[in-house]
Amino acid sequence: MTTQPILLAEKLEKVFPGVRALGGVNLTMAPGSVHALLGENGAGKSTMIKIITGVYRPDGGSLTLNGVERHFKSPHDAVIAGIGVVHQERNVVPEFSVAENMLLHQLPAKAGLVDREAMREQARRALDMIGLDVDLDEPVKGLSVAQTQLVEIAKALTTTDSKVLLLDEPTSALTLAETDRLLDVMRKLRDNGTSLLLVSHKLEEVFAIADTVTVLRDGESVLEAAPLGRFTTGEIVDLMVGRSHKASDFPARSVDRAQAPVLELDALSTGFGHRDVSLDVRRGEIVGLYGLVGAGRTELAKAVLGLDRIVGGGIRVAGKDVKIDNVGTALGRHHIGYVPENRKTEGLFLDQPLTMNIAVTVWARIRNFFGYVAKRRERDIAEHYVDRLGIKAAPRQFAGQLSGGNQQKVSLAKWLAADCEILIIDEPTVGIDVRTKAAFHELIWDLAADGMAILLITSDLPEMVTLADRIVVMRDSRVMGTVENSHHYGETSKAVIGLVHQTV
Amino acid sequence: MTGKDLMSRLRANRGSEPTLLVVGIVGYLALVLKSNGDLLEGNSIKGILIYLTVPILIGLAQLVVLAVGQMNLSVGALGGFLSVWIAALIVDSGLPPLLAAGIGIAGGALVGVVNGVLVVVTRINGFIVTLATMTILIGLQYRVAGTRTITLSDGWFTDFGSADVLNIPLIFIAALVVAAVLAFFLRRAVPGRRLLASGGNPLAARLSGISNDRSLILAHGLSGLIIGVAAVLTVMSAPGVNKSIGGDWLLPSFAAPIIGGAALAGGAVSVLGTILAAFIVRLVDVARAQYSLDPSLVNFTIGAVVLGTVVLGTIRENRAARAPKDPPKDTAKEAAPLAGSPS
Repeated sequence: MTTQPILLAEKLEKVFPGVRALGGVNLTMAPGSVHALLGENGAGKSTMIKIITGVYRPDGGSLTLNGVERHFKSPHDAVIAGIGVVHQERNVVPEFSVAENMLLHQLPAKAGLVDREAMREQARRALDMIGLDVDLDEPVKGLSVAQTQLVEIAKALTTTDSKVLLLDEPTSALTLAETDRLLDVMRKLRDNGTSLLLVSHKLEEVFAIADTVTVLRDGESVLEAAPLGRFTTGEIVDLMVGRSHKASDFPARSVDRAQAPVLELDALSTGFGHRDVSLDVRRGEIVGLYGLVGAGRTELAKAVLGLDRIVGGGIRVAGKDVKIDNVGTALGRHHIGYVPENRKTEGLFLDQPLTMNIAVTVWARIRNFFGYVAKRRERDIAEHYVDRLGIKAAPRQFAGQLSGGNQQKVSLAKWLAADCEILIIDEPTVGIDVRTKAAFHELIWDLAADGMAILLITSDLPEMVTLADRIVVMRDSRVMGTVENSHHYGETSKAVIGLVHQTV
Repeated sequence: MTGKDLMSRLRANRGSEPTLLVVGIVGYLALVLKSNGDLLEGNSIKGILIYLTVPILIGLAQLVVLAVGQMNLSVGALGGFLSVWIAALIVDSGLPPLLAAGIGIAGGALVGVVNGVLVVVTRINGFIVTLATMTILIGLQYRVAGTRTITLSDGWFTDFGSADVLNIPLIFIAALVVAAVLAFFLRRAVPGRRLLASGGNPLAARLSGISNDRSLILAHGLSGLIIGVAAVLTVMSAPGVNKSIGGDWLLPSFAAPIIGGAALAGGAVSVLGTILAAFIVRLVDVARAQYSLDPSLVNFTIGAVVLGTVVLGTIRENRAARAPKDPPKDTAKEAAPLAGSPS
């Protein structure tokens, strides 16, 4: 294409503590086109969107809009410059009316007072564009999730002469009919000269609407502004998962499939919305739980631990039907431990020493008759696990002072101290450098080799292929299927992605 | 306000204002019957309303801070300090009352802005910042007042404090004017809407280009300004002011907006609900006088009502949070034909 790009991002870089989210990504958007931005979880799509919309500032590279280089200092700057966006998360003020939420970024005013008529009129125009019929004066908190999402899309359309519209997973809460309607709206906008950037995990919808595609992998663009028509779905998936992964060199570990599972979920339905989720884990087995962000994996783990209501089906531990009301029961009676995804907020007491962080799960065991917990016994236990897991810290150091990898080890140590037989590990290596990551993989592998049953939740597909014996794939709080892991990256990843995307 | 407007507003509040109105009227009528109609007499009405003035204003001062999801613990201390300061400026320094009142209100707004700036700059929770300023202000109040009671000599200033129109005290009318201006500001003015948006969803507000910092400073500043008005009206109407004034303002300042339907997380407040709630709290006091009940019963009752309201609100929120999880499929079904989608 010879026309000047409407939006040009060159060599964008963004580094978060410990992680390089973007390492020189290019994006070239032509006017009047629908550009798909694809990539697996953690490939850097959302970071990219947040840089373009002024939420993050890049650590390197440049952003050019219509030939002018831009440095957005705030999301508002981007809106003013003509970049509309629908973020993945819902961003509404629940008490405010539909109309006001839509115009919040530029409330029409006369003499400092909100001009309600103008506000309603502009909101109505945008709602008409996407054919959504809701009461403009109704507070947004009364709307359904899908309606709220459509309102947010309409909000992006109110941005006066929005030249570029970014849509981050706009259809995740929409039904097929609503999705169709949205695609129609996108076509209409494109024909009127707007450039759209679509981030979506649903490839069928990408192929239905997009004309150009950029694929990100591990924070780098592996395909830049290529015509989508030249590719098949399979080729795009190949590009997304890409890298031929180094086969794991862990000692072989065999699972006795004949033995009875220690943890079984039987057609489990939960208050969160899981329906008929069945899976089982045996001793010495690592079962992976894969899915896109929002598939309901963490929520499933929490329901098993008694943190959410079970509304149907059952849980069996070591062959017996059990009822788990809280984490105390899960740990004390059934020996189920949970290493949470967010170690800082859920896994650790940052202002406490390692001794306390590790021994907290076993206080009941090491306390004396009067309930006193001797510091010495705490320290003994902590020293044991600092040693065993290779935590680079003294037992008396505060958890908050450790590096991410060491923190994660501490978060794991307390469950080992508690003699867990079943361990649910949620996203163990997010934000951890590559070397520690490998050490952590080895640790998880060894735990399973020692006979622990492990349910591993991770969005990192290579990690999943490295560790898991079987991979259960979830989507929209349901199990889509199970993949036997051959530990051959290409083969397994394709099967998993196939299940996630339901590519026909 | 159009009828549709009013309806959507009532629906938004899930009826907390009508409920409060009914409770207030029924409570008042019961007390009227009990008093054999004495409470319908002009002097009784005037008595009730005079002592309703300050509770309304301090309730509003707290409400505007609650609107951004913060708390202001310095409401009582600031009111107390400003009261003795204004009185001292008039009596000790001989300033004209109007000038002293102006200085007091400006001072209140300034202290509020300082509170807000401290919260924004230090990123420390407003609860702690205002706890500190509260203690400082109590010290200042004591410094100015000492052990004396400052009494103003009669003049137009004190006359205004005791004047009434058809038994409705002027100071009460002044409080209602403040309430009306605040309600209008929060409903219609752009800065007012931004303030509520910041409280309702800070992230959404930020992504819409709203400065949450500015909203915080504005809210604290308005809170101080309203307390300044409360202090002026107190000096006008009270027989004298001393170091203990303002000491019992803190609980009522929270009670009125919370019973009135404010969400503690911010974003949802009701000026009308706050006024009605302050009136109901006032009725408890009247009832105590009427039935010669133990004074401790008043605090007990108000505390219980606040607790009950908060608990009810939480249950309501939980129910609301749980409700929308399932229905998307249903709404989608009914939304599809509306779109005329060809599928």
